[in-house]
Amino acid sequence: MLFSAILTGLVLGGTYALIAMGLTLQYGVARIMNLAYGDLIIAGSFGAMLLFTAAGINPLLALFIVVPSGFALSWLIYALMLQPLARRSPNRDRLEGDSILATFGLLFVIQGVALVLFGANYQSYSFLAVPIDVFGTTIAANRLLAFALAVLFGTGLWLLLTRTRFGTVIRAVAANPGSAPLVGINVDHVARLAFALGGGLAAAGGVVVSMYLTFSATMGVVFTMKALIVVIMGGVGNLLGALAAGLILGVVETLVSSFIDPGLTLAATYLIFLAVLVVRPQGLFGKPAR
Amino acid sequence: MLDLTNAALRYGKHLALSGVGISIANNETVVVLGANGAGKSSLLKVLAGLVRPEPGADLTFEGKAVLGRPAHDFPELGIALVPEGRGIFGDLTVAENLQLGAHPPHARPHEKRQRDLVLDLFPRLAERQSQIARTMSGGEQQMVAIGRALMSCPKLLMLDEPSLGLAPIVTSELFLALGRISATGIAMLVVEQNVKASLAIAQRGYLMEAGRITGAGTAETLRADPAVQRAFLGAVA
Repeated sequence: MLFSAILTGLVLGGTYALIAMGLTLQYGVARIMNLAYGDLIIAGSFGAMLLFTAAGINPLLALFIVVPSGFALSWLIYALMLQPLARRSPNRDRLEGDSILATFGLLFVIQGVALVLFGANYQSYSFLAVPIDVFGTTIAANRLLAFALAVLFGTGLWLLLTRTRFGTVIRAVAANPGSAPLVGINVDHVARLAFALGGGLAAAGGVVVSMYLTFSATMGVVFTMKALIVVIMGGVGNLLGALAAGLILGVVETLVSSFIDPGLTLAATYLIFLAVLVVRPQGLFGKPAR
Repeated sequence: MLDLTNAALRYGKHLALSGVGISIANNETVVVLGANGAGKSSLLKVLAGLVRPEPGADLTFEGKAVLGRPAHDFPELGIALVPEGRGIFGDLTVAENLQLGAHPPHARPHEKRQRDLVLDLFPRLAERQSQIARTMSGGEQQMVAIGRALMSCPKLLMLDEPSLGLAPIVTSELFLALGRISATGIAMLVVEQNVKASLAIAQRGYLMEAGRITGAGTAETLRADPAVQRAFLGAVA
């Protein structure tokens, strides 16, 4: 029972870590606090469901359609809506504030479109819902696949950021945006790409979520909040921190809902969040502010 | 190679620069002397494209009018700035900082050659390639900043108070390195508080006061100038 709960928790935590990585990329590099982030995740879920139920396309293949769409949509959102804000902001703090207001509006636009198209009901589809035996506990194959995908995307992003020239440029902008122009980096351009990349990860997270969870048009904000909590717990811009924080959150949530009361899941989430904020405001693995 | 005329710069009500003009010739090392708040850093920011002067100014580099171009175009033109406070990417390694220096397209093909040159100039960086830049000493961080600027194959290297906060022995090492850089044919514009050391490596200099150029001359004339001696070299009047 305990092992089964931990296993379920790790799967859920893997998804949290995956979606948090997209948000930390958007916030850490583009300085956009994207409140519509979770709604893009849900849009990805609906996309995968639609492709599966209407066209019989396997969610794994759907990733090749949904993820580039999420990238393109986020690229457009940045170019049309956020770039003007970034250009006129005298500093990054101001941009952070403006972006919160702008993406708060965007949240309702995406959510509204999803409500019109799909209604307010909980949705799900059945994909690979076969039990698999893992060390004496059974778990649905789609959950294992979801975890594997989270690991795959996480590793891919980590390699991109640490092993490529473009990744170094992204980290340079995150570390010191003021100095980036001194080496000829176009910060506008990099921010737009990082924001789009984060959107692609959100869409990937949406496909993964749709494989094993039920979802609805109004659920985006829950994912935004959880991604935000994971990002802050792990330390902004820290991928390994996001991974650890995501897994911790998933396991704690599952343990609380299995052994205490499902109604206390969110309360437990925020309790951990508060504890981290009070004790280690720089995040579990973050460096203290200098 | 570089000509700036009639530059004025305002921060709100504060007039940081007024009617400023300077010129730099090929291979030349020029020093800008002045007290804190005289506008030296503002001048370098204008020349690096980081701030735009008021209308009426003119800036040409190798015959091209470059005013109004975005700051990230300047390294590609061949103008590199080592800003006050160094501006390195502290969370990244020394090797990554140097690699980023070669980001401008014209510098890419020469990355290996420039890295060898930088490591030859600052052997200490060779041992510290994988160290996180933030964890280094001030002098070493300054080497990273200068090395990063050199990676862009600059034609003009500008340095804003490179010796600020460094121990005397580190400062003299730094000026030795600057002398060697100048000998490779790169033009330099240096803003410094350390007047003696900077006049020693410069051919010409400008004096700045309250946002204006108040004097100019060869290094020898400036060294002998009673006003410079009084203000900077500690001579008794």
